This record gives sequence, C-alpha cells and structure tokens, in this order.
Amino acid sequence: MKKLLLGVVLLIALVFAMPLVLSDFGINLATEIYIMAIFAMSLGLIMGYAGMVSLGHAGFFGIGAYTVAVIGQHVANTYLLLLLSVVISGLIALVTGAVFIRTSKFYFLMITLAFGQLLYVLFWQLKPWTGGADGMSVSAILNFGFGEIVSPNGFYYVMGIAFIIFYILLRLFVESPAGKITKGIMENEARMSALGYNVRVYKLLAYTLSGALAGLAGALYAYFNVFVSPDLSGWMFSGQVMVMVIIGGVGTLLGPALGASVFIYLQNFMSTYTERWPMVMGALLVALVLAGKGGLIHWLQHGKSLFVARKRTGEAVSQQPVKKGEAVH
Amino acid sequence: MSIFLAQLLTGLAYGMLYFMIAVGLTIILGVMNVVNLAHGTLFMLGAYIAFTFINDEVNFWAALLLAVLLTAVLGLVLEKLLIKRIYGKELEQVLLTFGLSFIIADAIEWIWGTEMHTLPVPGLLSGSLSIGSTAFPLYRLFVVFIGCLLALLLWYLETKTRVGAIIRAGVDDRAMVSALGINVGLVFTGVFAFGAALAGLSGVLGGPLIGMYTGMDSEILVTSLIVVVIGGLGSWKGSFIGAIAIGVIETLGKVWFPSLSMLTVFLIMMIVLIIRPQGLFGREVA
Repeated sequence: MKKLLLGVVLLIALVFAMPLVLSDFGINLATEIYIMAIFAMSLGLIMGYAGMVSLGHAGFFGIGAYTVAVIGQHVANTYLLLLLSVVISGLIALVTGAVFIRTSKFYFLMITLAFGQLLYVLFWQLKPWTGGADGMSVSAILNFGFGEIVSPNGFYYVMGIAFIIFYILLRLFVESPAGKITKGIMENEARMSALGYNVRVYKLLAYTLSGALAGLAGALYAYFNVFVSPDLSGWMFSGQVMVMVIIGGVGTLLGPALGASVFIYLQNFMSTYTERWPMVMGALLVALVLAGKGGLIHWLQHGKSLFVARKRTGEAVSQQPVKKGEAVH
Repeated sequence: MSIFLAQLLTGLAYGMLYFMIAVGLTIILGVMNVVNLAHGTLFMLGAYIAFTFINDEVNFWAALLLAVLLTAVLGLVLEKLLIKRIYGKELEQVLLTFGLSFIIADAIEWIWGTEMHTLPVPGLLSGSLSIGSTAFPLYRLFVVFIGCLLALLLWYLETKTRVGAIIRAGVDDRAMVSALGINVGLVFTGVFAFGAALAGLSGVLGGPLIGMYTGMDSEILVTSLIVVVIGGLGSWKGSFIGAIAIGVIETLGKVWFPSLSMLTVFLIMMIVLIIRPQGLFGREVA
C-alpha cells in the first residue's frame, strides 16, 4: 500500500511537471501517450495477470470510440457517454469472452484477432451510421461540468489524471483477492481448479474488466482526436498495442504504460524522418526478440536488483562469512 | 439457378485459395506450435513476385513456379535465421512474426506501390465451360481442381509416406519423435518452407481472382485463421472442409446480405467453438 502511494505521488508529480518542459507538440504527444497507456494497461491486465494473449483488443477500443462518436451526436453528457462506452464494451467482452475463454492459448489468439477484425469490417460496412471507410468526426465535447475542455492543456490534464486513476484501480484489482486468484490461475490452472475456484469466472472477470477499460480508452481517444475511423479496431492497431505491452514488460502494470510511451514516441519520431517507418518498427521488433531480455521494465528491475543485490552481499560479507553455495546465488 | 451455380463455383474457388494458405498455417501451428502472423504477407508476396515476372513477359506458369520457389526459399531462410530461435515462446513468436509482417508488407509497398493490380488469367484458361445454361469460368474450375489435387497429395503424404508419419507423430508428441532419432529441426524447416510455398501458390492463383492491394495480407490472414480455428489445429482435413465452408458462405453472403458477410463468417466460427472448442477435426489440446 505504501509502495502504491509512493508510486502515485511520483506519477502525479510527473503529470504536473511535464507541461513545464514540453512544447505544444510535446503536450499533444503526451496526451496521446496517456490514452494509449490506459489502453496498453488494459491489455497488460489480461496478458500479464491472466495469461490471455489477445490480438483483437483494438476491437474494444473501437467500440468505445464509436460509442462516443455515434451516440454523442444525440447525447451531450460526458459522464453518460463515458459510462455507455464502458458498459457496452464491457458487455460485449462478457458475452464474447464467455466463448473465447473456453479455448486454449493459440485459439484464443486467433479468435480474438478474428473478433477485432469483425468489428473493423462492421465499422467499415455500417456506412449509414459510421461513415464507412472515411470515418466520422466526433461532435461531442468533453465537459465534466466545469466548462468545455478544448485546449491542448485541458486534454493533457484530463488524460493524465485519467491515467493515474485507472492505474490505481488496476493496482487495487491485481492486489485484491480476486486479482490474486486470477494470477494463480495463470500460473497453474489445474491447481486453482482443484482448490475449488471457478476458474472460468475469474478469467471472464479479468477479460470483461480489460475490455471495458479498453473501451474507455477508446472513448477518451474519440474526444481527443475528434475523429474516428475503422482502423481503430484493425488488427494492426491490436498488434501495436500488444507490442507496447510486450516491449514495456508483461506481468507488470506500469510496463505496458512505459511501452506505450516508447512506442508512440518512436512512431512519431520515425515517421517525421522516413516514410518507411513500418519497416524500421518491424526491424526493431525483430531485434528486440533476438535480444531476448524481456520488456523495458524488466531491464529496469534487473538493473535495480543487481544494484540491491550487490549492496546486500556487501553487507553479508562484512557481517558473516558466506557459504559457498549461497555466494553462487 | 444458373447464377447460383456460378456463385457456388466462385465460392469453391475462393475456398480452395483459403485452403492452400490455411493448410500451411495449420500444419505450422500443429507441428511447430508457431503462430505465423506473417503468413498473409507471404501470400501477398507470392502474387507480387509473379506479377513482376509476368510483366517481364514470363509465361504465367513459369512465373507461378518461380514465385512459389522464391516464397519457399524465403520461408526456409526465415525459419533458419529467426523462427528457429523462438520455438516454445509464444509472445516472442507473436512479436517476431508481427514485426516480419510489418517489414514484408512495407517492402511490398515500397517496391510495387499502393495501386491495385491483378494478374492476367493464363490464355489456356481464359474461356468458360457451358453446362446447360450456366457458364463456368475455366480458371475457377482450374483453381478448384488444384485445391482438390493438393488435398489428395496431402492425404497421400499423410497416410502413405514416412514424412507424413513423422509429421503426424510430431503433432502428437514432439519430444518422442526427437527421442526416436529423427532430426526434428530439419522437419520443422521443411514444414515451414512448405507452408510458405503454399501461401505463395495461393497468392499467385488468387492473383487473377482477388488481385493485389494494400491490406490484403491482413484480410487473408484473418480469414485463414478463422479456417484454422473452425477446422481444428494441425488438421489439413479440417482446413479443407473449413475453407470450402467459409469460401462458399462468404461468397453467397456477399450476394445476399452484402454488409454482413464478415458477420456470418464470424458467427459460424462462434457456433463451431461453442459446440466444439477444439475445432471440427482438432483434438483436445492442453
């Protein structure tokens, strides 16, 4: 709990200090990063804490985004729209998840991919409502009751605070009994089942939460980007968010957020220099896999543990002689 | 009625193309436990390579052969250099093959641009066969014929040859096959190259029907993944049945309810999964 508090204070400090050093362009980029960080954390939850690798998570992002875009034409209330996008994407996650989680890992991957692509095609084909391939602009304006938020700085703080709130909520979930049971299932499903836990219920719970949060990220993105298109549900985007999670570090919450910031930053950086950035990105991915050292956050943790270990062994040596076997570890 | 029959043939031809690409995917998955997300780009690459050769006045059949050979070689190189390192690591496979599909798709865009292309139907097959009042385009019949031939070949390989026996055993228990002194690495390389070749073949044969355009790689990948899911992991029979079903249903669906064709395919997948989570011909997997 103390650690969480410290982390949150650091995050708040980060969110409020960044505008001091960032340009207008940087503010916009950081805003996008916060949204993608929420999205990446939602996928990180099922990948890292429930062992479900989904390649269709952008489907939920798209559902949230289109909820704001389509229903926002008739409803102005921001709270209601955000709630609707969470409920709709959560419900769809619940229903599809009930079928998806019955399958094994490779199947899950392929089925979720097909699911995301289905939504992509649906947004494309339901042209009268969604504008088809051209996408549609978002008329709803972000307003939490303190006036309309339209400035880049306004968006920056909203998304930054949203990121912190959902980080806290996710942290509370993974530390809760339900979260720990879910993680136990990931590590040994047969054992948890034998202990009497209803394995499917917990997996479905994680999947539903994850889908709902991805929908919310999509809804926030629709407000921020004022434009939505079918690509938001495409498998490319699903793949990208999975890449964010993996390069950040699977099995942590802040790892995916870190991965999202690195990915978005690199993407922006590279696309200003070369049209061929997908190729550069692909080469980076291949290189990352070949390096085979896990995600960025694991590198950080590894560095930290090396440092701590050295300090500890140093102390141990000074206090008492270490047995040979221990020294090796 | 005659329109329906012609559409049925189109659906069958598409189904055979899906079969050719999905069978590679499903065997690679079943034997090597590798999800190859770059499989769709190999399909696309095959079509573009043939396109270049045909533009250089190479005969369609020679171009087909060259394209299949080149995609097989690429598959071989990829397996030897990269895929080999990540057996048994699911996340790494996803990341690596996703990265590869980025690279290949972007290279294709770089070399051939973003315009839509199609391959010409080879002269020999440009006509159509009239039965009663229905005209069946010869090329589509030819694609169906090739698909059936491939199924026959796979059946023969699987049941009558040593390679087939090794691969069947590999799907069941890889460690045991290796313990029996069989060079599993060689088998894996062969399987991956064979899958790549089939993807290339499907791409070239699909050239005159589907054409080539940006984004087709992901479309074809998703369709073939659905075929694999419906048919069952590692089963070519499942892929055959699944691909024909999807090809026909998708084609007829496009005619009857154009805006929901993908939804019908997806719903079929959902129904199959609810009844048989392991797919039609799949075995229970852990």
